[in-house]
Amino acid sequence: MVETKGELKQPSLHHPSSDFSEEIANEPGGEDITKCIQCGMCTASCLVAKYTDRYRPRRLIQKILLGKREEVLNSELPWLCMTCRLCEERCQEGVSLPEIFGAVRKIAAREGKIPNVFKSTASLVLKDGWMLKDTYTDFIEDDRDDLGLDTDLNWDDDFVKKIKKKYFKEDKTR
Amino acid sequence: MTIEKASGPSSQPREDERTTPAALVIGGGVAGMQAALDIADQGFQVHLLEKSPSIGGRMAAIDKTFPTLDCSACILTPRLSDVSRHPRIDLLTYSEIQSIHGEIGDFRVRVRRKARYVIEDACSGCGDCVSVCPVELPNEFDQDLGFRKAIYTPFPQATPNAYTIDKKGEPACRDTCPAHVNAQGFITMMKTGDYARALAIVRDSIPFPGVLGRVCISFCEGECERGYLDESMKIRNLHRFLADWERTQDVIEPVEPSIDKDEEVAVIGSGPAGISCAYQLARKGYPVTVFEKQPLLGGLLRYAIPEYRLPRDILDEEIQRVAEHGVKMKPNNPVESIEDLKKRGFKAIFIATGTWECNETGVRGEDAEGVLHSMEFLKKVNSGEDVEIGKKVVVIGGGDAAIDSARVAIRLGAEEVTLVYRRSGIEIPAIPSEVEDAKEEGVKFMLLTNPTEFLSSDGELTGIRCVKMRLGEPDYSGRRRPIPIQGSEFTMAVDTAVVAVGQKADIHGVQTDCECTKWGTVTVDEVTLATNEPGVFAGGDIVTGPLTVVKAVGQGREAAISIDRYLRGIPLDEGRAERLHRVQSYEVDKSQKEQAKGAVMPKQGLASRRNNFTEVELGFTEEVARQEAERCLGCANCCECKLCVDACTREAIDHSMKDEIMDLDVGVIVLATGYKLFDVSRYPQYGYGKFSNVIHAMEYERLINAAGPTMGHLVRLSDGKIPENIGFIQCVGARDVSKGVPYCSRVCCMYGIKNAVMAKEHHPDCEVTMYYADIRAFGKGFEEFYEMARTRFGVNFVRGRVSEVNENEENGNLIVRVEDTEKDIVHNVEHDLIVLSPGIQPPEGMGDMVVELGMDLAIDGYIDVADRVITPVDTKLAGVFVCGCADGPKDIPDSVSAGSAAAMRATIILNRYQDKS
Repeated sequence: MVETKGELKQPSLHHPSSDFSEEIANEPGGEDITKCIQCGMCTASCLVAKYTDRYRPRRLIQKILLGKREEVLNSELPWLCMTCRLCEERCQEGVSLPEIFGAVRKIAAREGKIPNVFKSTASLVLKDGWMLKDTYTDFIEDDRDDLGLDTDLNWDDDFVKKIKKKYFKEDKTR
Repeated sequence: MTIEKASGPSSQPREDERTTPAALVIGGGVAGMQAALDIADQGFQVHLLEKSPSIGGRMAAIDKTFPTLDCSACILTPRLSDVSRHPRIDLLTYSEIQSIHGEIGDFRVRVRRKARYVIEDACSGCGDCVSVCPVELPNEFDQDLGFRKAIYTPFPQATPNAYTIDKKGEPACRDTCPAHVNAQGFITMMKTGDYARALAIVRDSIPFPGVLGRVCISFCEGECERGYLDESMKIRNLHRFLADWERTQDVIEPVEPSIDKDEEVAVIGSGPAGISCAYQLARKGYPVTVFEKQPLLGGLLRYAIPEYRLPRDILDEEIQRVAEHGVKMKPNNPVESIEDLKKRGFKAIFIATGTWECNETGVRGEDAEGVLHSMEFLKKVNSGEDVEIGKKVVVIGGGDAAIDSARVAIRLGAEEVTLVYRRSGIEIPAIPSEVEDAKEEGVKFMLLTNPTEFLSSDGELTGIRCVKMRLGEPDYSGRRRPIPIQGSEFTMAVDTAVVAVGQKADIHGVQTDCECTKWGTVTVDEVTLATNEPGVFAGGDIVTGPLTVVKAVGQGREAAISIDRYLRGIPLDEGRAERLHRVQSYEVDKSQKEQAKGAVMPKQGLASRRNNFTEVELGFTEEVARQEAERCLGCANCCECKLCVDACTREAIDHSMKDEIMDLDVGVIVLATGYKLFDVSRYPQYGYGKFSNVIHAMEYERLINAAGPTMGHLVRLSDGKIPENIGFIQCVGARDVSKGVPYCSRVCCMYGIKNAVMAKEHHPDCEVTMYYADIRAFGKGFEEFYEMARTRFGVNFVRGRVSEVNENEENGNLIVRVEDTEKDIVHNVEHDLIVLSPGIQPPEGMGDMVVELGMDLAIDGYIDVADRVITPVDTKLAGVFVCGCADGPKDIPDSVSAGSAAAMRATIILNRYQDKS
């Protein structure tokens, strides 16, 4: 039952350890991880879990608590949370799963473990300045025209250029 | 909440005469009872104070105890009688703490003993009153699942064994009515179809159900709570219906005069005030003589109000009924002077001569022929005299007399009737329905217009000159003052003008024997209606100036009370200005009521009514009246129909009972105030209050209890179906940081298991599932009980908190979404009944009491104890102890242990003070 996408290795005996949960707890947003009592309220509430059997937030938290660091960081599951925060609203222990998954993603990103689909989304935005350039077709242009809207979106990538200039180029110069 | 001690040092014993102090136990639940019994058994006096009508607390409402599955009532009720029969326990039920002062050994506690309206010692608990009570209310002991009457005991073994009347105070309608007619009372009796009793309730306050049912301005309807929901009750028309109903009966119960006193009373004037006073006095047994100047009785009711509004047979019959009470009526009998009456042997006199003189406009030309004044005009018409009236009539004024004059003019054949009023339609003081009727009949309204001159030729009226007005700032009466608009004068040709700009008292009238104002009205005490002459009282228009009929009737009634007191030598004003608590709008639950408009009064058709004086309003049919009565919200709960008083053979019911203030001197206080259940509707995802088959554990207790609303049949409340698959949801309002209840309530796991087991006991084939996060089976025998539930009873335990409950709309079943964390699957499970197991919280009002004591609450809202380990029942205040759930959740055995412990700690203190004395 290994769900990681990247490496598929033989499941070996895992020694539970609190190292990883402590690491998460030290990350901003991850402080509440140790409060979890595994009641299952989050999974039963989760809107993503309603649509896929793969995503089970309680089990992900359980893996963090058990110290399965590599498995969690290499998995794309922490990236699937859509931060509707229904689990946080209902959690009786005051655990905020979206915040914890945020902390997980931060650690994963630092280690370069970003799922490809997220990576390509980010680069697309950096390239086009927005995400939906490819989807802006003639049909939509016609629709806009029919509705009496301006077909020219007047979109430019100045903002993205500024971002790049401010963060990325400086990065290189350092 | 604190009330300073009014009684001063007298209630506080001096040092040398102080005896052994008593103990006060606050809260009559099982812990408080135990503490009281233990203190009393050690020889000390105990006051046991309980807020509700009976001791027993929560345990009395619980069906079975865990883990032994003993019957809760079977264990509790012997203790109830132990407490009630203990010679050293003073039971103060239905009481509340008002203030606490002092310190250990010498607490001074002020207690409000709420009026039960039943004398505890006299009531035998037979229940004869219950069967006659017409008011049904939700039974809070059964968690509002069933109904109880307004006179009730919470449960059959209630202690003390005395009934309680649930009376919130005085409903708005009755409080507003100048004559204090018990509208809620008679309407409630109408609901039951007992019109005779309803009529008797009306006649208790007024002699005129039919007359006031037609002409009353009905202040009550303006204040009716139902008006905040949809439309006010048609109170006036309902008591008119009662009067009409009586006239259709073959046999009318005759009046039996009960004149048994000797002091003669004279009433001057047979108008509404005079007749009302004579009626009330005659019912009290006084021989009364009514003197009337006019040839016929009724005063302005007869001579001012036209017949189409008030048929004369109705008036005659109701006055005749008063005469049948033994009142001597003397028409054509003007009174010369008050002195003269006194000489003739009257011990008390009531002046109710009314205001018969007409105000004048003071406008030039008012003396022209063709200018009439409303009182003389109406009097002539109402006396049956022929009155000549022109074709074009103008009526000046906006009061009832003006509207009456205008409508009479139409009936006398005037072709065009115009009403000239100087303010706008909003300020018009006449009864709105009368204004509407007048408009329907063709009266033209010329508003914001004022006459400036009556034009005449050869002394005969030819027209009037008027000026247009606009409204300025409000004047002393609160209405906007009319201001003439310069240059807007105009002239109208008219044949007859009727001036109806108010009435005034005859400044030479008989009332001038007493102290009067410059307007000729009598100066009286506002409450007692006493004049400066001893034994002489006055009421009605002669005191107030021209006002409403019902105000006059009310003053007649008040004067009768004063005269009775005067003749018996009782202080006139004692306790009279004190008003009963008026039921406030927020005290009336309107949330469950459906909207329904009020009944519409049927009227005679326009064509047939315009040329004669037959009655316009036709009255309600029985069906309409019953339907209208059903709309009454019953604001005060008890309707004071007093059927219970008649039913009680021991004279134990006293509706005039008032709350009593008691001062207690006690040495120690034990707090046993219990808990409240968490309000499960704060979890909207569980659908409590929205889905009828989601209930909470306390409701479930009452459902499975043999004395409960279903006689112990466990059924679904929505459709009465026997549940085949019940789900219990744990930790609802416990261990939830987001709801402010982070602590474990300690009892829910076990009572939840008990409830699950009881479901199996009731219906062995029923599937029972419990959804939990942990099972905390920490007490003796608890783990075994849990084991037994699993193995022997076959209760399914699913580890996982339920995220939401949805309803299957087809069958009312409930779909629970939960992750079974042991099996790692997310389920949607269908149940036909869901029981939420709420956590427990500190009771309401505990904060107030703790502040009163000068203590603090712990952060969780419970009472803080001095040391959790060594002194678990001592609070931080010396001499104050705590037991039961007041300092934190406990089960029954722990509460009882704490009760005994607190009792022991308390008696140690009491012993110390005993040694001193």
